[in-house]
Amino acid sequence: MTGYGMITPLGRNADETFARAAQGQSGIRPITSFDVRGLPCGIAGQVDDSWLDDAVATHRNGRLASRAVRLMLLAATEAAQAAALTDVEDRNRVAVAIGCHGENPSIEEILFLHRFTDGNGRWDAAGLAEAGGYDVQQFFRRKPDVAAALVAGTFDCRGPNLTLVSACAAGAQAIGEARRLIAEGSCDVALAGGCEATVDFVGLVGFSLLRALAERFASPATASRPFDRRRNGFVLAEGAGAMVLEELGHARVRGARLLGEVLGYGDSADAYRITDSRPDGEGAALAMRGALDDAGLPSAAVEYVNAHGTSTVQGDIAETRAIKEVFGTRAREVPVSSNKSMLGHTIAAAGAIEATLTLMGMERSVILPTINHEVPDPRCDLDFVPNVARRQPHRVALSNSFGFGGQNASLCLGCCDG
Amino acid sequence: MQHLIGEETVSSEIRKALVETLRVGPATIGPETSIVRDLGAESLDFLDLNYRLEQTFGIRMARHFFLEHMEEMFGEGSAIDENGRLTPRALAVLRARYPEATLPEHEDGIDMDEVPSLITVQAMTDTVMSILDTLPAGCSCGASAWRAEDGTHVICGTCRQPATFTNGDDLTRQWLSGLSEGSGLP
Repeated sequence: MTGYGMITPLGRNADETFARAAQGQSGIRPITSFDVRGLPCGIAGQVDDSWLDDAVATHRNGRLASRAVRLMLLAATEAAQAAALTDVEDRNRVAVAIGCHGENPSIEEILFLHRFTDGNGRWDAAGLAEAGGYDVQQFFRRKPDVAAALVAGTFDCRGPNLTLVSACAAGAQAIGEARRLIAEGSCDVALAGGCEATVDFVGLVGFSLLRALAERFASPATASRPFDRRRNGFVLAEGAGAMVLEELGHARVRGARLLGEVLGYGDSADAYRITDSRPDGEGAALAMRGALDDAGLPSAAVEYVNAHGTSTVQGDIAETRAIKEVFGTRAREVPVSSNKSMLGHTIAAAGAIEATLTLMGMERSVILPTINHEVPDPRCDLDFVPNVARRQPHRVALSNSFGFGGQNASLCLGCCDG
Repeated sequence: MQHLIGEETVSSEIRKALVETLRVGPATIGPETSIVRDLGAESLDFLDLNYRLEQTFGIRMARHFFLEHMEEMFGEGSAIDENGRLTPRALAVLRARYPEATLPEHEDGIDMDEVPSLITVQAMTDTVMSILDTLPAGCSCGASAWRAEDGTHVICGTCRQPATFTNGDDLTRQWLSGLSEGSGLP
């Protein structure tokens, strides 16, 4: 990795986010962007947009971009600048891999279209055209592939272009697939990451219907409590994370600064149920083992696990079981923490943000905490780095991301010797 | 109580909903069939199932399971112990809720994950019936002329407005407080 960037509920960039997370701050607040009265959950991790529009206005494709893609462009800019991506000469050998979901339709858009249909499949196309027509930008905002396309256009990346649409695993899969592209020789450099901005009415109603969100909490800041006995669902959040990955020799030749290494990638599917994770954590364990095998390392080499840890009752138990399965008798000695306790769940961005925070932690010898860890759950009995960050050198870590449909991704990350 | 929609109608609508949701043959569904264990339903299927029943009868099914209501009403740890198993109090409520159910026999108690398997077609029928039985004596328009439209929707014969039933969560809460006041739960 030769560059990274992010925009999260905790900060406008990677350094700001890491600094606040190291202090155990929460980025969760009451939702202000729309009316949440009557909904069972009215809190989220939101990105402050008072400065967002100005920052994106400078982007050539900013107008076409959904909110998620605008966040992605900001994170990618930070990563590209850090890596001096413009210095890479052969643009045909620069790939892009982005985890992204299309934007949900807004209520305003639905209402507008509603005026021109009789509800029985007949449209008043002439009336729609007279009223100004359907904004083509809306069409682009629904398409998940637009993120990777706009990133490629903005940063002139003409190599392979992938979009990963795999819920909570998407960001980690993007980084994993980028590693594979580099390893198989399909590119020299890859801009990889994930973005999400679903803190809107349709997004919140959908997750509420699934009963996936935290509904009982004393305050917004304490609602996301992974592995704590009082957890009762995740907190939705928005954000984006990006990293520039580069073949080691290529990075050295052009004198890029090495900030960390993606040592291995493992992925699997639960092949179980659509919204329930396998209770035995078998699919998750398979992904973690896959990442270690790919890295050629034994589980004994791992000194930290950045957990998926969403704060749902069953998911956290299954991940605990999976970690025990992979680490055996050592499981309780390995620090495990969840960034989602502070950031909330940024869905398709989570894997990219968390892998980056993991590498930043290695660089700084800091293990980020799991905040709101107050009442231990006997079924989740690992070292969750409760509430306070830990100063501890560590050189190899796993970063887990498990999707709602049973998609599991795990990245094995390593500290760079420079 | 109401006499407009009978148990037969309810159980037949539940079968229909199960067939459509889970794509199972009607012949596999009996009153004692467990929706989770025998028909393979998962949590998402219950959302679908409840949605269909709500549309069919004009009712609101409970969003929360009675164990969650217990935790809310009687305090944390009142229904589920720290190992995820049912407390003696929750076991007593479970027996009252599903009197016909054969509870799993373990030395170390029943895990909360085992409870959904106890929901049978009959139990689901009883739940819907109990909601339908909250039909008020008269409509808010003043008339007392309820009738069942299409066999499943209760409407006012005078103003033609649909009837309003107590929603499933409120009914569970009422039932739980009645239970704890009446019979002295542990």
